[in-house]
Amino acid sequence: MFGPVKRLAVVLAAGALLAAGCAEEQPAPGAQGGGAEDGPFRIGAVLDITGAGASLGVPERDTLTLLADQLNAEGGIDGRQVELIIEDNASTEDGAARAASKLITEDQVDILLGASRTGPSLAMRPIAESTPLPMISLAANAAIVNGSEWVFKTAQNDSVVIENIVRDAAAKGYKTLALARDASGFGEGVQQLFDEIGGPSGVSVVAVESFAPDATDFTAQMVNIRNANADAVVIWGIPPAAGLAQKAYTQLGVGKPVYQSHGIGNQVFLDTAAESADGLVAPLGRLVVADQLPADDPQKQVITDFIADYRGAYGTAPSTFAGHAYDGWQLAVDALRAAGTDPEALREHLEGVTDFVGVSGTFTMTAEDHSGLQADDLVLVTVRDRQFQLATP
Amino acid sequence: MADLLQFTIAGLSQGAVYALVAMGFVAVFSVSGVINLAQGEFAALGGLVALSGVGAGLPMPLALVVALLVVGLVAVLMQRLAIAPVRRMTTLVSIILTLGVSTALKALMLLLYGPQGRGLPPLPGPDLVIGGVSVRAQELWILGVTAVVAVAVTVFYDRTMLGKALRACAEQPVAARLVGISPVAAATVAFAVAGLLGAIAGVLASPIQLTQWDSGLLLGLKGFVAATLGGLVSIRGAVLGGLVLGVLESLVAGYIDSGYRDAVAFVLLIVVLVARPEGVFGRHAQARV
Repeated sequence: MFGPVKRLAVVLAAGALLAAGCAEEQPAPGAQGGGAEDGPFRIGAVLDITGAGASLGVPERDTLTLLADQLNAEGGIDGRQVELIIEDNASTEDGAARAASKLITEDQVDILLGASRTGPSLAMRPIAESTPLPMISLAANAAIVNGSEWVFKTAQNDSVVIENIVRDAAAKGYKTLALARDASGFGEGVQQLFDEIGGPSGVSVVAVESFAPDATDFTAQMVNIRNANADAVVIWGIPPAAGLAQKAYTQLGVGKPVYQSHGIGNQVFLDTAAESADGLVAPLGRLVVADQLPADDPQKQVITDFIADYRGAYGTAPSTFAGHAYDGWQLAVDALRAAGTDPEALREHLEGVTDFVGVSGTFTMTAEDHSGLQADDLVLVTVRDRQFQLATP
Repeated sequence: MADLLQFTIAGLSQGAVYALVAMGFVAVFSVSGVINLAQGEFAALGGLVALSGVGAGLPMPLALVVALLVVGLVAVLMQRLAIAPVRRMTTLVSIILTLGVSTALKALMLLLYGPQGRGLPPLPGPDLVIGGVSVRAQELWILGVTAVVAVAVTVFYDRTMLGKALRACAEQPVAARLVGISPVAAATVAFAVAGLLGAIAGVLASPIQLTQWDSGLLLGLKGFVAATLGGLVSIRGAVLGGLVLGVLESLVAGYIDSGYRDAVAFVLLIVVLVARPEGVFGRHAQARV
């Protein structure tokens, strides 16, 4: 008779403990949406730490934690500490929107970073715009910043990536492309961009297949891509899906040259795709080929230092996604240092960023361009023996 | 023609994984009436344990054995700690309880292994291309092992004393008790079988599909649909259900739109529950186990 009652009591007690634990993390009351004059600066980050974007979100979390610790150990910004608050959106749109709202209303952050992927970033955008609060996304699709007042981003725009692919394809005489793209926000609009950017050079997309970011079987897509018989194939996705698609591409003997996007710049891709990745071409940030850069490359020092710090802390090399987080953090800290916590002043400072040397490129923002990177911020990279190699001089 | 064959091969190997998970559902449900929503987590856990075994330097076969043992043990513990103490087990209670265990297992895997997916190295063998149809060695392994396991499980229930005792428990609980078969022991064996089946599914699928803490969710769902196709009490029905589901998904992805792949299972589930709740392949299921 007492069995169920006792069990219930245990559950209730556990619940009470959890509630007490949460209560301690409540922030002190203060002004809505940041703007505090003293106490620590607050930077909030919404990342895809679990779910389909985990291979992006985990290194981003690690990077931000590392940079926050470094900054605070050096005394913070003008003697004020910087408090980093990270939320996991579980790679979902609603999770990202919830996390962003929570960071703004409960934690009262001064600036918002994230999310890791396009879909969740798009879900956060209206919240940042209406609060309003400056937000720096780490994702790729240009739709995140197109026409936005308060949203900035550090990953290279997809249009910039496509420019590089089209340029290379045209130079090699490829006329037709078959596209296998991510079905989520990251792959949204990619086909249209290829048509717009490729049109003048006579490069066009003749077949499109899509895949879910958590897909595991790519037989259907690759068979259809094979039947399209285009001059070259573009796989547009993030790991592990992009790696599994690359594998299926090789196993099913599509046998055409393959381009991938800047979504593959990490070890997870190389591990997943293994030898099937040999020979692919992708426009990537300079981070993955840092050791092959010429000594006079303006980014070389920044990238080399970041790799050394990251390796020292975690024992592995950082991915390009870690690089996007690095840039987002540095831009945010730079803005807080220069403009304080007033949202409008922060926004104006970010819009005026000029020749800011980061890991993903050299940023020059304007009122119209909240991405700040150009086609030459990417380099063409190929893969040999599970390693990225610089393909362009 | 080559395309059709290619889609079918891919569907069969995917379906075989569903079939293994589905057999796990049947193994537990037919003996104790419990719908074990943690069945998919057994698969994810199997893949992850094998991965850490290989990572720790164990030779592949040994890592696989360790994975099977660990997941089998987890399944038995789950039965002993979460299922056995409940006196009035209804299907609803079992769903709530096993959902809780599934959530706990997921959290545990997330804590222990982190959020990122990883894959085991594939089992040895050459990848083949026959008449334009590519067949991976791992796919042959999946199909072969599933066939052997399905036969073994069927023989276990039909021919061995223990298997017959389990069936007796399911069909005539009172009579079974009268002749000295303990329903609790039977349920424990059933969970152990379910754990082993799940682990085999996870280990086999991992080289192709990668494994992470939450990969059991979809796998468990598809396995449940496959088991439902067989009426939830037939091993043969579960195997057939898994293969049909896998091939159907692959054909829909290939010929209609890959975006509809995951919808196939849901549509199938609704159709079956409305039209033939006793299962499509489960005509004599009640009597057969």
